[in-house]
Amino acid sequence: MSEPAIKLEDWAQGIPMRAGPVSLGLYQPSPETMEYWRGIDRRELMLRHCDHCNRFFHPKRIVCSDCGASDLTWKPASGTGKVYSFSEIHRAPSEAFAAGAPYINGIVRLTEGVHLFTRFIPDPGPVKIDAPARLDFRVLESKWMLPVFLVG
Amino acid sequence: MASRLGYSAAIVGIGRCMTKREDAEKLTALQLGSISSANAIKNAGIKRGQIGAFFTGRCPTSYRTLQYNQTLLNELKIAPVFNTEVTAHGAGALGTLELGVLAVNSGLVDYALCVTNEASGVWLKDKVGQNAAGESNPQFEAPFGPTTPSLYAQVACRYMHEYGATSEMLAKVAVENRNWALTHPYAAMRNRGKITIDDVLNSRMIASPLHLLDCAVNYPGGISTAFIVTRAELAKNHENPTWIAGFGQQTTHEWISERMGAYDLDVIGHEPNLTNTGCATAAKQAYEMSGLKPKDIDIVQTSAPFSFVHLMMLEELGFCKKGEGGAFVMDGNIDFDGGMAFNTMGGYLSFGQMAQGLYNLHETVDQIWGRAEGRQVPDADIGLVHGHGGILASHSVMIVSRERAQ
Ligand SMILES: [Zn+2]
Repeated sequence: MSEPAIKLEDWAQGIPMRAGPVSLGLYQPSPETMEYWRGIDRRELMLRHCDHCNRFFHPKRIVCSDCGASDLTWKPASGTGKVYSFSEIHRAPSEAFAAGAPYINGIVRLTEGVHLFTRFIPDPGPVKIDAPARLDFRVLESKWMLPVFLVG
Repeated sequence: MASRLGYSAAIVGIGRCMTKREDAEKLTALQLGSISSANAIKNAGIKRGQIGAFFTGRCPTSYRTLQYNQTLLNELKIAPVFNTEVTAHGAGALGTLELGVLAVNSGLVDYALCVTNEASGVWLKDKVGQNAAGESNPQFEAPFGPTTPSLYAQVACRYMHEYGATSEMLAKVAVENRNWALTHPYAAMRNRGKITIDDVLNSRMIASPLHLLDCAVNYPGGISTAFIVTRAELAKNHENPTWIAGFGQQTTHEWISERMGAYDLDVIGHEPNLTNTGCATAAKQAYEMSGLKPKDIDIVQTSAPFSFVHLMMLEELGFCKKGEGGAFVMDGNIDFDGGMAFNTMGGYLSFGQMAQGLYNLHETVDQIWGRAEGRQVPDADIGLVHGHGGILASHSVMIVSRERAQ
Protein backbone atom coordinates (compact mmCIF):
# COMPACT_ATOMS: atom_id res chain seq x y z
CA MET A 1 0.00 0.00 0.00
CA SER A 2 1.44 3.35 -1.01
CA GLU A 3 1.59 6.37 1.27
CA PRO A 4 -1.03 9.06 0.92
CA ALA A 5 0.13 11.72 -1.48
CA ILE A 6 -1.40 14.44 0.67
CA LYS A 7 -0.60 14.27 4.37
CA LEU A 8 -3.02 15.23 7.09
CA GLU A 9 -0.81 18.16 8.12
CA ASP A 10 -1.16 19.50 4.57
CA TRP A 11 -4.94 19.21 4.65
CA ALA A 12 -5.03 21.15 7.90
CA GLN A 13 -3.05 23.92 6.20
CA GLY A 14 -5.62 24.18 3.47
CA ILE A 15 -4.00 22.67 0.37
CA PRO A 16 -6.59 23.10 -2.40
CA MET A 17 -8.12 19.83 -3.51
CA ARG A 18 -7.07 19.30 -7.11
CA ALA A 19 -6.88 16.48 -9.61
CA GLY A 20 -4.41 17.58 -12.24
CA PRO A 21 -5.48 21.01 -13.40
CA VAL A 22 -9.03 20.63 -12.10
CA SER A 23 -10.05 22.05 -8.76
CA LEU A 24 -12.21 19.57 -6.92
CA GLY A 25 -13.97 22.15 -4.85
CA LEU A 26 -13.54 24.98 -2.45
CA TYR A 27 -14.00 23.14 0.80
CA GLN A 28 -11.20 21.79 2.98
CA PRO A 29 -11.27 18.92 5.39
CA SER A 30 -12.69 20.84 8.28
CA PRO A 31 -13.17 20.44 12.02
CA GLU A 32 -16.40 18.48 11.55
CA THR A 33 -14.77 15.93 9.21
CA MET A 34 -11.18 15.84 10.49
CA GLU A 35 -11.69 12.61 12.45
CA TYR A 36 -12.85 10.93 9.23
CA TRP A 37 -9.62 11.94 7.46
CA ARG A 38 -7.48 10.97 10.47
CA GLY A 39 -9.19 7.56 10.35
CA ILE A 40 -8.23 7.15 6.70
CA ASP A 41 -4.64 7.99 7.62
CA ARG A 42 -4.60 4.91 9.90
CA ARG A 43 -6.75 2.86 7.44
CA GLU A 44 -10.02 3.05 9.33
CA LEU A 45 -13.39 4.21 7.97
CA MET A 46 -14.92 6.33 10.72
CA LEU A 47 -18.69 6.89 10.91
CA ARG A 48 -20.81 9.13 13.07
CA HIS A 49 -22.91 7.41 15.74
CA CYS A 50 -25.70 8.59 18.03
CA ASP A 51 -25.20 6.80 21.34
CA HIS A 52 -28.70 7.84 22.46
CA CYS A 53 -30.48 6.29 19.46
CA ASN A 54 -27.85 3.64 18.71
CA ARG A 55 -27.84 4.67 15.06
CA PHE A 56 -24.95 5.20 12.62
CA PHE A 57 -24.76 8.21 10.29
CA HIS A 58 -22.72 9.49 7.35
CA PRO A 59 -19.36 10.85 8.56
CA LYS A 60 -20.47 14.37 7.60
CA ARG A 61 -23.52 14.43 9.96
CA ILE A 62 -23.42 17.05 12.68
CA VAL A 63 -26.67 16.35 14.54
CA CYS A 64 -28.70 13.16 14.94
CA SER A 65 -31.59 13.08 12.43
CA ASP A 66 -33.71 11.24 15.02
CA CYS A 67 -33.19 12.96 18.38
CA GLY A 68 -31.28 16.09 17.39
CA ALA A 69 -28.33 15.35 19.67
CA SER A 70 -25.14 17.17 18.74
CA ASP A 71 -22.82 14.90 20.74
CA LEU A 72 -22.40 12.30 17.98
CA THR A 73 -19.45 9.99 18.55
CA TRP A 74 -17.04 8.43 16.02
CA LYS A 75 -17.02 4.65 15.51
CA PRO A 76 -15.10 2.62 12.91
CA ALA A 77 -17.11 0.81 10.24
CA SER A 78 -16.85 -2.96 10.09
CA GLY A 79 -15.80 -2.60 6.45
CA THR A 80 -18.44 -4.81 4.86
CA GLY A 81 -21.38 -3.84 2.72
CA LYS A 82 -23.19 -4.25 -0.58
CA VAL A 83 -23.27 -2.39 -3.88
CA TYR A 84 -26.34 -0.12 -3.88
CA SER A 85 -25.78 1.65 -7.21
CA PHE A 86 -22.89 2.18 -9.62
CA SER A 87 -21.80 3.72 -12.90
CA GLU A 88 -18.79 2.92 -15.07
CA ILE A 89 -17.27 6.24 -16.08
CA HIS A 90 -15.82 6.29 -19.58
CA ARG A 91 -15.63 10.06 -19.99
CA ALA A 92 -13.57 11.26 -17.00
CA PRO A 93 -13.74 14.79 -15.54
CA SER A 94 -10.07 15.59 -16.12
CA GLU A 95 -6.87 14.25 -17.64
CA ALA A 96 -5.74 12.99 -14.26
CA PHE A 97 -8.86 10.86 -13.88
CA ALA A 98 -8.86 9.87 -17.56
CA ALA A 99 -5.64 7.95 -16.93
CA GLY A 100 -7.66 5.53 -14.81
CA ALA A 101 -10.80 5.37 -17.01
CA PRO A 102 -12.99 3.47 -17.29
CA TYR A 103 -13.53 3.22 -13.56
CA ILE A 104 -16.58 2.53 -11.42
CA ASN A 105 -18.00 4.96 -8.88
CA GLY A 106 -21.07 4.16 -6.87
CA ILE A 107 -22.89 4.07 -3.57
CA VAL A 108 -22.13 1.32 -1.05
CA ARG A 109 -24.62 0.29 1.63
CA LEU A 110 -22.53 -0.49 4.70
CA THR A 111 -23.53 -3.23 7.13
CA GLU A 112 -24.12 -0.37 9.62
CA GLY A 113 -26.89 0.95 7.33
CA VAL A 114 -24.96 4.02 6.19
CA HIS A 115 -24.60 4.79 2.45
CA LEU A 116 -21.34 6.24 1.13
CA PHE A 117 -20.09 7.34 -2.27
CA THR A 118 -17.03 5.30 -3.20
CA ARG A 119 -14.90 3.64 -5.88
CA PHE A 120 -15.79 0.02 -6.65
CA ILE A 121 -12.94 -2.23 -7.75
CA PRO A 122 -13.89 -5.61 -9.27
CA ASP A 123 -12.05 -8.19 -7.14
CA PRO A 124 -12.93 -10.53 -8.67
CA GLY A 125 -16.17 -8.80 -9.69
CA PRO A 126 -18.47 -8.29 -11.40
CA VAL A 127 -19.81 -5.04 -9.92
CA LYS A 128 -23.59 -5.37 -9.78
CA ILE A 129 -26.38 -4.32 -7.43
CA ASP A 130 -26.30 -6.21 -4.09
CA ALA A 131 -22.87 -7.75 -4.78
CA PRO A 132 -20.81 -8.02 -1.55
CA ALA A 133 -18.23 -5.27 -1.04
CA ARG A 134 -15.14 -5.14 1.25
CA LEU A 135 -13.35 -2.02 2.46
CA ASP A 136 -9.85 -1.20 1.27
CA PHE A 137 -7.82 2.00 0.90
CA ARG A 138 -6.22 3.28 -2.31
CA VAL A 139 -4.62 6.46 -3.57
CA LEU A 140 -6.88 7.42 -6.47
CA GLU A 141 -6.23 9.68 -9.45
CA SER A 142 -7.06 12.70 -7.26
CA LYS A 143 -3.89 11.82 -5.26
CA TRP A 144 -6.13 11.34 -2.24
CA MET A 145 -5.98 8.20 -0.09
CA LEU A 146 -9.63 7.15 -0.06
CA PRO A 147 -11.84 4.34 1.21
CA VAL A 148 -12.68 2.07 -1.75
CA PHE A 149 -14.59 -1.21 -1.94
CA LEU A 150 -13.51 -4.49 -3.51
CA VAL A 151 -16.48 -6.25 -5.09
CA GLY A 152 -17.13 -9.93 -5.78
CA MET B 1 -62.12 23.27 -7.47
CA ALA B 2 -59.08 25.48 -7.29
CA SER B 3 -57.77 26.35 -3.83
CA ARG B 4 -57.17 29.88 -2.50
CA LEU B 5 -53.87 30.37 -4.35
CA GLY B 6 -55.05 28.69 -7.55
CA TYR B 7 -55.53 31.26 -10.35
CA SER B 8 -54.74 34.02 -7.83
CA ALA B 9 -52.12 35.59 -10.10
CA ALA B 10 -51.20 35.82 -13.76
CA ILE B 11 -48.30 36.47 -16.08
CA VAL B 12 -48.98 39.85 -17.72
CA GLY B 13 -45.58 40.57 -19.24
CA ILE B 14 -43.02 38.37 -20.91
CA GLY B 15 -39.56 38.98 -22.34
CA ARG B 16 -36.82 36.88 -23.81
CA CYS B 17 -33.34 37.48 -25.16
CA MET B 18 -31.63 34.58 -26.88
CA THR B 19 -28.38 34.19 -28.84
CA LYS B 20 -27.01 31.34 -30.93
CA ARG B 21 -23.45 30.06 -31.13
CA GLU B 22 -22.89 31.56 -34.56
CA ASP B 23 -24.13 35.04 -33.67
CA ALA B 24 -21.37 37.60 -34.10
CA GLU B 25 -22.36 39.47 -30.97
CA LYS B 26 -21.71 37.52 -27.78
CA LEU B 27 -24.02 38.90 -25.11
CA THR B 28 -23.18 38.38 -21.44
CA ALA B 29 -25.68 37.01 -18.96
CA LEU B 30 -26.10 40.54 -17.59
CA GLN B 31 -26.84 41.94 -21.04
CA LEU B 32 -29.30 39.15 -21.75
CA GLY B 33 -30.99 39.58 -18.35
CA SER B 34 -31.25 43.35 -18.70
CA ILE B 35 -32.72 43.18 -22.21
CA SER B 36 -35.27 40.47 -21.40
CA SER B 37 -36.33 42.29 -18.23
CA ALA B 38 -36.80 45.55 -20.11
CA ASN B 39 -38.82 43.67 -22.74
CA ALA B 40 -41.05 42.12 -20.07
CA ILE B 41 -41.69 45.50 -18.42
CA LYS B 42 -42.58 47.01 -21.82
CA ASN B 43 -44.74 44.02 -22.70
CA ALA B 44 -46.71 44.43 -19.46
CA GLY B 45 -47.19 48.14 -20.15
CA ILE B 46 -46.06 49.15 -16.67
CA LYS B 47 -43.42 51.56 -15.37
CA ARG B 48 -40.24 50.24 -13.77
CA GLY B 49 -41.20 51.99 -10.54
CA GLN B 50 -44.16 49.63 -10.24
CA ILE B 51 -41.90 46.58 -9.80
CA GLY B 52 -42.38 45.78 -6.12
CA ALA B 53 -40.73 42.36 -6.08
CA PHE B 54 -37.69 41.13 -8.00
CA PHE B 55 -36.69 37.48 -7.94
CA THR B 56 -33.84 35.99 -9.93
CA GLY B 57 -32.62 32.41 -10.36
CA ARG B 58 -29.22 31.52 -9.05
CA CYS B 59 -26.26 33.63 -10.05
CA PRO B 60 -25.21 32.76 -13.62
CA THR B 61 -22.09 30.59 -13.80
CA SER B 62 -20.74 32.90 -16.47
CA TYR B 63 -21.24 36.12 -14.48
CA ARG B 64 -20.26 35.54 -10.87
CA THR B 65 -21.04 38.42 -8.57
CA LEU B 66 -21.56 38.29 -4.84
CA GLN B 67 -25.22 39.30 -5.20
CA TYR B 68 -26.25 38.95 -8.83
CA ASN B 69 -29.81 39.97 -8.03
CA GLN B 70 -28.47 43.38 -6.94
CA THR B 71 -26.23 43.60 -9.99
CA LEU B 72 -29.17 43.15 -12.35
CA LEU B 73 -31.42 45.37 -10.24
CA ASN B 74 -28.76 48.07 -10.53
CA GLU B 75 -28.88 47.87 -14.35
CA LEU B 76 -32.65 48.09 -14.43
CA LYS B 77 -32.91 51.01 -12.00
CA ILE B 78 -35.78 49.45 -10.13
CA ALA B 79 -36.42 49.66 -6.40
CA PRO B 80 -38.28 46.54 -5.23
CA VAL B 81 -39.27 45.98 -1.61
CA PHE B 82 -38.85 42.18 -1.91
CA ASN B 83 -35.81 40.90 -3.75
CA THR B 84 -33.67 37.80 -3.58
CA GLU B 85 -31.96 35.07 -5.57
CA VAL B 86 -33.86 31.81 -5.53
CA THR B 87 -31.53 28.86 -5.22
CA ALA B 88 -33.01 25.33 -5.32
CA HIS B 89 -30.89 24.69 -8.44
CA GLY B 90 -33.01 24.59 -11.62
CA ALA B 91 -36.21 24.40 -9.58
CA GLY B 92 -35.52 27.96 -8.47
CA ALA B 93 -36.43 29.26 -11.92
CA LEU B 94 -40.13 28.51 -11.50
CA GLY B 95 -39.47 29.32 -7.84
CA THR B 96 -39.02 32.97 -8.81
CA LEU B 97 -42.60 33.02 -10.10
CA GLU B 98 -43.88 31.08 -7.11
CA LEU B 99 -42.44 33.72 -4.79
CA GLY B 100 -43.81 36.31 -7.18
CA VAL B 101 -47.35 34.95 -6.76
CA LEU B 102 -46.99 35.04 -2.98
CA ALA B 103 -45.55 38.56 -3.02
CA VAL B 104 -48.30 40.11 -5.17
CA ASN B 105 -50.98 38.30 -3.18
CA SER B 106 -49.61 39.82 0.02
CA GLY B 107 -51.02 43.12 -1.21
CA LEU B 108 -47.79 44.86 -0.23
CA VAL B 109 -46.64 45.04 -3.85
CA ASP B 110 -48.44 44.94 -7.20
CA TYR B 111 -45.93 43.56 -9.72
CA ALA B 112 -43.13 40.99 -9.48
CA LEU B 113 -40.32 40.68 -12.04
CA CYS B 114 -38.90 37.15 -12.29
CA VAL B 115 -35.76 36.46 -14.34
CA THR B 116 -33.14 33.82 -15.13
CA ASN B 117 -30.16 34.31 -17.43
CA GLU B 118 -27.01 32.53 -18.56
CA ALA B 119 -24.47 32.65 -21.39
CA SER B 120 -22.07 29.95 -22.46
CA GLY B 121 -18.34 30.58 -22.46
CA VAL B 122 -15.04 28.87 -21.89
CA TRP B 123 -16.19 28.01 -18.37
CA LEU B 124 -19.13 26.03 -19.70
CA LYS B 125 -17.57 23.01 -21.33
CA ASP B 126 -19.58 20.19 -22.78
CA LYS B 127 -21.96 18.63 -20.31
CA VAL B 128 -20.73 15.08 -20.61
CA GLY B 129 -17.13 15.69 -19.64
CA GLN B 130 -17.50 18.51 -17.21
CA ASN B 131 -15.90 18.45 -13.80
CA ALA B 132 -18.68 17.70 -11.37
CA ALA B 133 -17.22 19.93 -8.65
CA GLY B 134 -20.39 21.98 -8.58
CA GLU B 135 -22.64 18.92 -8.44
CA SER B 136 -20.69 16.68 -6.07
CA ASN B 137 -19.80 16.80 -2.42
CA PRO B 138 -16.29 18.30 -2.32
CA GLN B 139 -14.95 15.92 0.36
CA PHE B 140 -17.07 12.79 0.03
CA GLU B 141 -17.74 12.50 -3.72
CA ALA B 142 -15.47 14.76 -5.80
CA PRO B 143 -12.15 13.06 -4.88
CA PHE B 144 -13.47 9.83 -6.49
CA GLY B 145 -13.68 11.50 -9.92
CA PRO B 146 -17.42 11.73 -10.63
CA THR B 147 -18.89 13.53 -13.61
CA THR B 148 -22.39 15.00 -13.69
CA PRO B 149 -23.69 12.14 -15.89
CA SER B 150 -22.17 9.55 -13.54
CA LEU B 151 -23.98 11.09 -10.56
CA TYR B 152 -27.34 10.98 -12.37
CA ALA B 153 -26.38 7.48 -13.50
CA GLN B 154 -26.60 6.29 -9.88
CA VAL B 155 -30.33 7.00 -10.09
CA ALA B 156 -30.61 5.50 -13.58
CA CYS B 157 -28.93 2.33 -12.30
CA ARG B 158 -31.49 1.98 -9.49
CA TYR B 159 -34.46 3.02 -11.66
CA MET B 160 -33.68 0.40 -14.30
CA HIS B 161 -33.04 -2.23 -11.60
CA GLU B 162 -36.21 -1.51 -9.62
CA TYR B 163 -38.62 -1.02 -12.51
CA GLY B 164 -37.10 -2.94 -15.40
CA ALA B 165 -36.67 0.04 -17.70
CA THR B 166 -34.42 -0.75 -20.68
CA SER B 167 -31.84 1.27 -22.59
CA GLU B 168 -34.25 1.23 -25.58
CA MET B 169 -36.92 2.93 -23.47
CA LEU B 170 -34.45 5.62 -22.43
CA ALA B 171 -33.34 6.07 -26.04
CA LYS B 172 -36.92 6.57 -27.24
CA VAL B 173 -37.06 9.82 -25.25
CA ALA B 174 -33.94 11.15 -27.00
CA VAL B 175 -35.48 10.30 -30.39
CA GLU B 176 -38.67 12.28 -29.69
CA ASN B 177 -36.80 15.23 -28.12
CA ARG B 178 -34.81 15.45 -31.35
CA ASN B 179 -37.94 15.42 -33.52
CA TRP B 180 -39.24 18.52 -31.72
CA ALA B 181 -35.85 20.27 -31.82
CA LEU B 182 -35.81 20.05 -35.63
CA THR B 183 -38.78 22.48 -35.60
CA HIS B 184 -37.12 25.13 -33.41
CA PRO B 185 -34.88 27.78 -35.01
CA TYR B 186 -32.70 28.12 -31.90
CA ALA B 187 -32.39 24.47 -30.84
CA ALA B 188 -28.80 23.29 -30.38
CA MET B 189 -29.40 20.16 -32.48
CA ARG B 190 -31.74 21.69 -35.09
CA ASN B 191 -29.35 20.92 -37.95
CA ARG B 192 -28.34 17.44 -36.81
CA GLY B 193 -31.27 15.55 -38.32
CA LYS B 194 -33.44 12.80 -36.91
CA ILE B 195 -31.97 10.04 -34.77
CA THR B 196 -33.09 6.47 -34.12
CA ILE B 197 -33.08 4.30 -31.02
CA ASP B 198 -30.08 2.46 -32.49
CA ASP B 199 -28.24 5.77 -32.94
CA VAL B 200 -28.62 6.41 -29.21
CA LEU B 201 -27.57 2.88 -28.22
CA ASN B 202 -24.57 3.03 -30.60
CA SER B 203 -23.38 6.42 -29.38
CA ARG B 204 -20.40 6.08 -27.08
CA MET B 205 -20.85 5.25 -23.44
CA ILE B 206 -20.34 8.27 -21.17
CA ALA B 207 -21.22 6.85 -17.76
CA SER B 208 -23.10 3.57 -17.80
CA PRO B 209 -25.99 3.19 -18.45
CA LEU B 210 -25.96 6.63 -20.15
CA HIS B 211 -24.76 6.98 -23.75
CA LEU B 212 -23.76 10.29 -25.32
CA LEU B 213 -27.23 10.78 -26.83
CA ASP B 214 -28.89 10.07 -23.46
CA CYS B 215 -27.23 13.26 -22.17
CA ALA B 216 -28.25 16.91 -22.38
CA VAL B 217 -26.27 19.32 -24.48
CA ASN B 218 -25.33 22.63 -22.90
CA TYR B 219 -27.17 25.30 -24.86
CA PRO B 220 -24.54 26.87 -27.14
CA GLY B 221 -25.32 30.56 -26.74
CA GLY B 222 -27.17 32.62 -24.19
CA ILE B 223 -30.73 32.81 -22.92
CA SER B 224 -32.63 35.02 -20.56
CA THR B 225 -36.33 34.80 -19.81
CA ALA B 226 -38.30 37.35 -17.80
CA PHE B 227 -41.89 37.47 -16.55
CA ILE B 228 -44.08 40.06 -14.89
CA VAL B 229 -46.54 38.57 -12.41
CA THR B 230 -49.48 40.35 -10.79
CA ARG B 231 -52.54 39.38 -8.74
CA ALA B 232 -55.94 38.61 -10.24
CA GLU B 233 -57.64 41.97 -9.65
CA LEU B 234 -54.85 43.82 -11.49
CA ALA B 235 -54.34 41.14 -14.15
CA LYS B 236 -57.81 41.91 -15.50
CA ASN B 237 -56.50 45.32 -16.62
CA HIS B 238 -53.94 43.67 -18.89
CA GLU B 239 -54.35 42.09 -22.30
CA ASN B 240 -54.21 38.31 -22.47
CA PRO B 241 -53.08 37.43 -18.95
CA THR B 242 -51.78 33.87 -18.64
CA TRP B 243 -53.19 32.49 -15.41
CA ILE B 244 -50.96 30.68 -12.94
CA ALA B 245 -53.39 27.91 -12.10
CA GLY B 246 -51.20 26.13 -9.56
CA PHE B 247 -47.64 25.46 -8.49
CA GLY B 248 -45.58 23.33 -6.13
CA GLN B 249 -42.01 22.72 -5.15
CA GLN B 250 -39.93 20.34 -3.05
CA THR B 251 -36.25 19.84 -2.27
CA THR B 252 -34.96 16.64 -0.67
CA HIS B 253 -31.14 16.81 -0.57
CA GLU B 254 -28.00 18.37 -1.92
CA TRP B 255 -25.55 15.58 -2.79
CA ILE B 256 -26.92 12.42 -4.42
CA SER B 257 -25.10 9.95 -2.14
CA GLU B 258 -26.38 11.84 0.90
CA ARG B 259 -29.91 11.50 -0.41
CA MET B 260 -29.41 7.96 0.87
CA GLY B 261 -29.08 9.39 4.37
CA ALA B 262 -32.61 10.81 4.21
CA TYR B 263 -35.41 8.66 5.59
CA ASP B 264 -38.78 8.89 7.31
CA LEU B 265 -39.92 11.76 5.08
CA ASP B 266 -43.29 11.59 3.31
CA VAL B 267 -41.89 12.02 -0.17
CA ILE B 268 -39.12 9.48 0.30
CA GLY B 269 -40.78 6.86 2.48
CA HIS B 270 -39.36 5.03 5.47
CA GLU B 271 -36.38 3.52 3.67
CA PRO B 272 -33.83 5.66 1.86
CA ASN B 273 -34.01 5.38 -1.94
CA LEU B 274 -33.05 7.26 -5.10
CA THR B 275 -36.17 6.72 -7.19
CA ASN B 276 -38.83 8.81 -5.43
CA THR B 277 -38.30 12.50 -6.05
CA GLY B 278 -39.79 15.79 -4.90
CA CYS B 279 -41.47 16.10 -8.31
CA ALA B 280 -44.36 13.95 -7.06
CA THR B 281 -45.02 16.31 -4.15
CA ALA B 282 -44.64 19.41 -6.32
CA ALA B 283 -47.08 17.97 -8.88
CA LYS B 284 -49.63 16.97 -6.24
CA GLN B 285 -49.56 20.48 -4.80
CA ALA B 286 -49.92 22.08 -8.24
CA TYR B 287 -52.83 19.81 -9.22
CA GLU B 288 -54.64 20.39 -5.93
CA MET B 289 -54.10 24.14 -6.09
CA SER B 290 -55.48 24.31 -9.62
CA GLY B 291 -58.22 21.71 -9.30
CA LEU B 292 -56.82 20.17 -12.49
CA LYS B 293 -55.77 16.60 -13.24
CA PRO B 294 -53.15 15.16 -15.60
CA LYS B 295 -55.85 14.49 -18.23
CA ASP B 296 -56.62 18.25 -18.33
CA ILE B 297 -53.05 19.13 -19.41
CA ASP B 298 -52.54 19.88 -23.13
CA ILE B 299 -48.80 20.46 -23.22
CA VAL B 300 -45.93 19.38 -20.95
CA GLN B 301 -42.33 20.58 -20.59
CA THR B 302 -39.85 18.81 -18.32
CA SER B 303 -36.45 19.83 -17.08
CA ALA B 304 -34.62 16.56 -17.65
CA PRO B 305 -30.90 16.55 -18.48
CA PHE B 306 -30.75 12.80 -19.08
CA SER B 307 -33.12 10.50 -20.97
CA PHE B 308 -34.23 8.36 -18.02
CA VAL B 309 -35.24 11.45 -16.02
CA HIS B 310 -38.07 12.04 -18.52
CA LEU B 311 -39.49 8.61 -17.72
CA MET B 312 -39.38 9.22 -13.97
CA MET B 313 -40.97 12.66 -14.36
CA LEU B 314 -43.77 11.40 -16.63
CA GLU B 315 -44.60 9.01 -13.78
CA GLU B 316 -44.31 11.51 -10.95
CA LEU B 317 -46.31 14.12 -12.87
CA GLY B 318 -49.11 11.55 -13.03
CA PHE B 319 -49.19 10.81 -16.77
CA CYS B 320 -48.57 7.12 -16.09
CA LYS B 321 -48.07 4.86 -13.08
CA LYS B 322 -44.80 4.61 -11.14
CA GLY B 323 -42.39 2.40 -13.04
CA GLU B 324 -44.41 2.47 -16.27
CA GLY B 325 -42.73 5.45 -17.92
CA GLY B 326 -40.77 3.20 -20.28
CA ALA B 327 -43.82 1.32 -21.51
CA PHE B 328 -45.67 4.67 -21.77
CA VAL B 329 -43.14 6.13 -24.21
CA MET B 330 -42.72 2.87 -26.16
CA ASP B 331 -46.50 2.86 -26.69
CA GLY B 332 -46.17 6.14 -28.60
CA ASN B 333 -47.53 8.46 -25.91
CA ILE B 334 -44.83 11.12 -26.38
CA ASP B 335 -44.38 10.60 -30.12
CA PHE B 336 -43.85 13.81 -32.11
CA ASP B 337 -46.46 12.39 -34.48
CA GLY B 338 -49.60 11.64 -32.52
CA GLY B 339 -48.43 11.65 -28.90
CA MET B 340 -48.90 14.26 -26.20
CA ALA B 341 -47.11 17.57 -26.74
CA PHE B 342 -43.96 16.87 -24.71
CA ASN B 343 -40.90 19.12 -24.60
CA THR B 344 -41.93 21.11 -27.65
CA MET B 345 -38.60 22.98 -27.94
CA GLY B 346 -36.67 19.71 -28.01
CA GLY B 347 -35.98 19.33 -24.31
CA TYR B 348 -32.59 19.53 -22.65
CA LEU B 349 -31.38 16.64 -24.81
CA SER B 350 -31.80 18.44 -28.14
CA PHE B 351 -32.73 22.08 -27.53
CA GLY B 352 -30.07 22.38 -24.87
CA GLN B 353 -29.89 23.11 -21.17
CA MET B 354 -29.30 26.61 -19.82
CA ALA B 355 -30.49 29.27 -17.38
CA GLN B 356 -32.43 26.74 -15.29
CA GLY B 357 -34.81 26.08 -18.18
CA LEU B 358 -37.18 28.98 -17.58
CA TYR B 359 -37.56 29.26 -21.37
CA ASN B 360 -39.79 26.19 -21.07
CA LEU B 361 -42.37 28.43 -19.41
CA HIS B 362 -41.98 31.06 -22.14
CA GLU B 363 -42.51 28.34 -24.74
CA THR B 364 -45.62 27.12 -22.95
CA VAL B 365 -47.12 30.62 -22.84
CA ASP B 366 -46.31 31.01 -26.56
CA GLN B 367 -48.07 27.71 -27.29
CA ILE B 368 -51.13 28.70 -25.24
CA TRP B 369 -51.52 31.93 -27.23
CA GLY B 370 -50.83 30.34 -30.62
CA ARG B 371 -47.45 32.04 -31.11
CA ALA B 372 -45.27 28.92 -31.51
CA GLU B 373 -44.65 29.29 -35.22
CA GLY B 374 -43.56 26.09 -36.95
CA ARG B 375 -44.38 23.84 -34.00
CA GLN B 376 -47.77 25.09 -32.81
CA VAL B 377 -49.72 22.49 -30.84
CA PRO B 378 -53.45 22.69 -31.68
CA ASP B 379 -55.82 23.57 -28.81
CA ALA B 380 -53.10 23.99 -26.21
CA ASP B 381 -55.08 25.78 -23.48
CA ILE B 382 -53.42 24.43 -20.35
CA GLY B 383 -49.70 23.72 -19.95
CA LEU B 384 -47.56 22.12 -17.25
CA VAL B 385 -43.91 23.04 -16.77
CA HIS B 386 -41.50 21.09 -14.60
CA GLY B 387 -38.24 22.54 -13.28
CA HIS B 388 -35.51 20.55 -11.64
CA GLY B 389 -31.93 20.80 -10.51
CA GLY B 390 -29.21 19.34 -8.41
CA ILE B 391 -29.03 15.61 -8.90
CA LEU B 392 -32.83 15.28 -8.78
CA ALA B 393 -32.60 17.35 -5.59
CA SER B 394 -35.10 20.16 -6.20
CA HIS B 395 -38.28 20.07 -8.24
CA SER B 396 -40.95 22.60 -9.09
CA VAL B 397 -44.12 22.32 -11.12
CA MET B 398 -46.26 25.14 -12.52
CA ILE B 399 -49.56 24.84 -14.38
CA VAL B 400 -50.59 27.79 -16.56
CA SER B 401 -53.90 28.38 -18.32
CA ARG B 402 -55.37 30.71 -20.92
CA GLU B 403 -58.71 30.82 -19.14
CA ARG B 404 -59.30 31.63 -15.50
CA ALA B 405 -61.27 28.87 -13.76
CA GLN B 406 -64.41 30.16 -12.04
ZN1 LIG C 1 -30.13 10.34 18.32
